Amino acid sequence: MAEVAESDFLLAQRGVARELGAWVIGAVFDARNRLAFALADGTLHLAATEEPWSSVTAHDAGLLSACADMQEGWLTGGDDGTLMRTAPDGTVTKLADYKGKWIDHVAAHDSGLRAAAVGKALHLLGPGGPLKTLTHPSSVGGIAFDAKGKRVAASHYNGASVWFVGAKEDKPRVLEWKGSHHAIAFSPDGTHVVTAMQEPSLHGWRLTDGQHMRMSGYPGKTRSLSFTARGRWLATSGAESIVLWPFFGGGPMGKAPTELAGGDEVFCSAVACHPQHEVVAAGFGDGLVLIAEIASGKVVPVAPPTGSPVSALSWSPNGALLAFGTETGRAGFVDLARR
Amino acid sequence: MSDSQIPVTVLTGYLGAGKTTLLNRILSENHGRKFAVVINEFGELGVDNDLVVDADEEVFEMNNGCICCTVRGDLIRIIGGLMKRKGKFDGIIVETTGLADPAPVAQTFFVDDDVKRATKLDAIVTVVDAKHLPARLKDSSEAQEQIAFADIIVLNKMDLVSPAEADEVEALIKQINPYAEIRRSTKSDVPLDAVIGRDAFNLARILEKEPEFLSGEDHHEHDSEVNSVSFEVSKPVDAEKFNAWISQLLQTKGQDLLRTKGILHYAGDKRRFAFQAVHMIADGDYIGEVKEGDPRRSKIVFIGRDLNRPQLRRGFEACQVDA
Repeated sequence: MAEVAESDFLLAQRGVARELGAWVIGAVFDARNRLAFALADGTLHLAATEEPWSSVTAHDAGLLSACADMQEGWLTGGDDGTLMRTAPDGTVTKLADYKGKWIDHVAAHDSGLRAAAVGKALHLLGPGGPLKTLTHPSSVGGIAFDAKGKRVAASHYNGASVWFVGAKEDKPRVLEWKGSHHAIAFSPDGTHVVTAMQEPSLHGWRLTDGQHMRMSGYPGKTRSLSFTARGRWLATSGAESIVLWPFFGGGPMGKAPTELAGGDEVFCSAVACHPQHEVVAAGFGDGLVLIAEIASGKVVPVAPPTGSPVSALSWSPNGALLAFGTETGRAGFVDLARR
Repeated sequence: MSDSQIPVTVLTGYLGAGKTTLLNRILSENHGRKFAVVINEFGELGVDNDLVVDADEEVFEMNNGCICCTVRGDLIRIIGGLMKRKGKFDGIIVETTGLADPAPVAQTFFVDDDVKRATKLDAIVTVVDAKHLPARLKDSSEAQEQIAFADIIVLNKMDLVSPAEADEVEALIKQINPYAEIRRSTKSDVPLDAVIGRDAFNLARILEKEPEFLSGEDHHEHDSEVNSVSFEVSKPVDAEKFNAWISQLLQTKGQDLLRTKGILHYAGDKRRFAFQAVHMIADGDYIGEVKEGDPRRSKIVFIGRDLNRPQLRRGFEACQVDA
């Protein structure tokens, strides 16, 4: 019992958790550190330390994807084809309607860009409305902007496409690798693109010279990828520990990954790197949430296991808050700021 | 665990066989059950249901060393999305295009961990046109495969054939796949319970059926027609020997082996092991214990092309424990 009490300590002392009743798609902080939980039932719950949390219905049917909108508020994609923006005050606005098609992925950049992936199409929108539509050879598995918002990358079958957002003529740089690619990430300095594949492995490309990087050995599918703030490590889910690949000293080629917080025989289901420090948060298949310091390997439990896999996990941009959500709808956050 | 798995019915059949009619019949019947329906974008008729998802039938090859391992990426994506709204529906129906090879659909349910965790393949239902099936079987390998993969075959448009023609078509079907249950119908009017919630992948039950004409002489015909063979052994099976034999067989002959199903009694184990494969992709699990006094015979069935009956028989027989 001592262990359970301990794993509950941070949540009990410095956090809040609620049962929201539907799959948590995203625990999303906007650029101003305001938190909303986006649920598969189409609702957004605007979380606060004090009761009660206010909620709005952004999608009448189902919600499939969520991210922070450009400068504030939240952007969500529905299975009815609607792309919605929810403002911090709870006002919901329809930005686009893709007529009943699933919006599988959304992304936004504070320079004034929004992206919505609908089947093979990646729709780019600006503050004033649609900008362009980029088409891919097969359905888009994941999307990511680079840190500056100059490029957007989309994964699909047999690789990924990297597009310059502002290009007059839309011709992607195609990164080829056979297989089905889904989750995708840019390294913070924009020099690498990494995807997670249907086969339990990752594939990466060094954009300067097209060098391939294969990162394999996972017992499960990787769903979550996160680079540390300065891009030295890539944290990943899909194993019984947090798997971290070194992107320095010639790595990750020919280097073994570092494994943290393993040993419970439960798969890691979500990872999120701290926005400033070399600290990674991880959620597991039993609902356990913890944070680990990469250099020391020191692990601190945040929320105890509740039986349902962690489906959403993120840090606030200021690094003070960590939010998590589970498949059965438990949602919470802890305040880790110095007191 | 298995209670929380959503049953999936796969509906295949040639263009014009009556697949969409069957689908609409299932959906409109007053049964109080809700289905999520995955249809292909170029469906012939409209489908009336609350939860309809358009699929693109995107097939891709896995990089797992199996040359014939193709899966439906769009299904992995769609089932992943549907699972986030568990509780809103009782089952999933996947309709495929008329020309679709059923293997990628079936393999999707064996290969992807998330799909395996969330769903179970209830049955592959193939709708065929009683009048035109003989011609289709001659000119299309997909039509043969759709029969080979079926757990349930709806022999439709019975009003267009004579009783003698109907028997002939049934015989043709049984030649390819003697294990499928055949339901005759007109305008796809089969009761819902005949196609939904069948748990047809419950291997034990399928394998109990022993089609009489299978017990023929050993012979090996080289042909591209799909047919089936089955073997039984009475001594317990050596798990190690069986695994070595079957892996080697699937690796080398997997492209020709459409479906492989087996119920095995391993030496020293009271439980029965249910084995099944689609091409090279295999899966297996222990099922219930044998009752005291019941025969402990192991059985294996192959449905495929160019099956070398004597060789397969010798291979399976050699998996029995010595002594």
